[in-house]
Amino acid sequence: MIHVTEHKQTTHNLKSESFLSAKKLYLPLSQHIGKPSEVIVSKGDSVEESQLLAKSCSFISSNLSAPASGKILAIDDYFHPIYKRSQAITLEVDSSVKPKKYPALSDISALSKEDILEKVKQAGIVGLGGAAFPTPVKLVPPREIEVLIINGCECEPYLACDYRLMVEKLDEIFKGIEIVSRLISAKRVIFAVEENKPEAIKRINLYISLKKTELKNISIAVLKSAYPQGGEKQLIYSVTKRKVPPTKLPLDVGCVVHNVGTCYAIYEAVYCSKPLIERLVTFCGDALVRPRNLWVKIGTTLSELRENKLIEFKSDPVKIICGGPMMGVALDSLDYPIIKATGGFLFLTENTHPEPETACLRCGRCVDVCPMNLLPLEYVRKVKNNQFDLLDQSNIVDCMECGSCSYVCPARIPIVHYLRVGKRYKIDKG
Amino acid sequence: MSLINTSSPHLRQKLNTRDVMLNVIIALIPAVIASLVLFRFKALFLIAVCVVCCVLTEEAVTRIRNKPSAVPDLSAALTGLLLALILPPSTRWYAAVLGSVFSILVAKHLFGGIGSNIFNPALIGRAFLMVAYPKMLTTFVEPFAVDVVTKATPLALHKFSNQVVSTFDLFFGTVSGSLGETSAVCLIVGGLYLLIRKIADWRIPLSMLVSASVFSFIFYCLDPSRGTVFFHLFSGGMLIGAFFMATDPVTTPVTKLGRYVFGVGCGLLVMTIRYFGGYPEGVMYSILFFNALTPLINRCTKPRRFGA
Repeated sequence: MIHVTEHKQTTHNLKSESFLSAKKLYLPLSQHIGKPSEVIVSKGDSVEESQLLAKSCSFISSNLSAPASGKILAIDDYFHPIYKRSQAITLEVDSSVKPKKYPALSDISALSKEDILEKVKQAGIVGLGGAAFPTPVKLVPPREIEVLIINGCECEPYLACDYRLMVEKLDEIFKGIEIVSRLISAKRVIFAVEENKPEAIKRINLYISLKKTELKNISIAVLKSAYPQGGEKQLIYSVTKRKVPPTKLPLDVGCVVHNVGTCYAIYEAVYCSKPLIERLVTFCGDALVRPRNLWVKIGTTLSELRENKLIEFKSDPVKIICGGPMMGVALDSLDYPIIKATGGFLFLTENTHPEPETACLRCGRCVDVCPMNLLPLEYVRKVKNNQFDLLDQSNIVDCMECGSCSYVCPARIPIVHYLRVGKRYKIDKG
Repeated sequence: MSLINTSSPHLRQKLNTRDVMLNVIIALIPAVIASLVLFRFKALFLIAVCVVCCVLTEEAVTRIRNKPSAVPDLSAALTGLLLALILPPSTRWYAAVLGSVFSILVAKHLFGGIGSNIFNPALIGRAFLMVAYPKMLTTFVEPFAVDVVTKATPLALHKFSNQVVSTFDLFFGTVSGSLGETSAVCLIVGGLYLLIRKIADWRIPLSMLVSASVFSFIFYCLDPSRGTVFFHLFSGGMLIGAFFMATDPVTTPVTKLGRYVFGVGCGLLVMTIRYFGGYPEGVMYSILFFNALTPLINRCTKPRRFGA
């Protein structure tokens, strides 16, 4: 793993704010890995906040609820921050309707495991660390789970939403962790945080020591900051020294990983019966007058945030990135909506790739840093020479596109880009 | 608002190819200073000729090949500097010019330019001169000498007349030899700089020096007249080879295991040539030999997939 420049000093210390009064919300039906949600409302319908708009239609799929009350304007093709375009529900918010209240239960011991699982399914929760894998699937593991790892690494530079959540909502996160732990009957729970988050570490330690009697099997693992340690396989290795084999899942080595944001969403779903309709998003980058950690409704567009002066530009950005700078996607306009797995947006005034690509030196730095032990330079050579048949096809799928290779390449070769071309060829070929 | 739409990652490390080359040049400064102190004007002249010729050849070839100028990446300048440092101080100018042109034109560009060459260009330049001017390339002079006083290198003295040069002289470099190879202390300082700044991977130099040490220690125990471990480490091209030639990114393995193989192999081959070969020194041929083996080493030392 590598050490990347963190750029977190500004975003870490920004208290969270809220903007929950967007007028129009765009809700893509694919906000998760798996089948798109199935629409159960029609154009013109009036809907209430938290009403189900589209439902999970297979084992790996997810529900989608209305983030606010209003009217369905359209169910049509719209911008999607990851897939560029996808089917989406357009919701015109009725601002005369008061926001719904979600009182929290004080005790959930009366709820059965099935009740809890149903609540999480209903709420449309997906992994909020970025991959957006439907969470309910990970709550019914087909085998015994030894270690539940709570991912508080947030190893992407700039982003701070998970960190703010750990600082501001730790009690709720721990309640969420207890729920998950109970559902999967984990023997041990390990809360993994990187050492660049001292305030969160202090609070977690304090919380655990105060509640020693109730939280017997939970411990904290303070990890050396490294990228991409927040990746599932890397985190499991860092915490347990177990390696998840290629094509296998974490549960094959007795582990399950949940992000802190997901635990918070599980808390809200179970205690407050609140679906996943809002999330904390980091807005930062040198183009902004003021960076922010902001609670927003799912479906809010960047342009609406700009109209409401929540995004203000010092000077026009030349690059907007949805997500972190290592794995995020560059956007071409402000019309994109925030989706469930969006952790942040980056607005940069400088081209981040000013230098042209030069010849590969075969220095092997990409090989040294690849967390999956691949030979990135070989893929580049084969793709450049159109030797797609020679691509080591079984291994290229191991690449999770973390970007470490491109980050260290002194010849400025966009290695991940070439890898994507290679993967694309493989997909197109079937 | 016009937005740039490139694929991730959107962050890059500062270090680029030019920085890599520049740092190697910086790491060679102690050795350059030592050569100037020991061999004065001869050193200055040779370094200037080699660097200028390499840079001019690079510029000419890239123009002919219709490629953007590669001079700013400093790789040609570095090749010139390295070539000068491994030539005898009394090398004549025309030989230096020929060696430089051969390094860049044949060893580098005929193989496809930077990143595509199989052999270390500076070593190829020297190997070419060894064939073209064998006498000139094996005639060395005494350091600090006002007039040209020829003097055999410590390794030659040891091999052919059983004389041993003191480790002290070898450490500071007050012995005859190629321009930049004599002063062990300067090369170690430069080498450590490269390793600490992570410009070069430590695996090759370390494994090369360790394997040579172990091999020479065994032989020293069997027969002390074979020379001590320090004698072999500090004499000839061992250190400049281990730190500056065997760490050339282009011509050495990309895998971690491969780098150990390369280093250990070079160390053993150097000592084998020194003990049993016809030449008193074998660093150049050892590294060139393992340069040729590098593609094979890469193929045989592919790292295992994570978790496999």
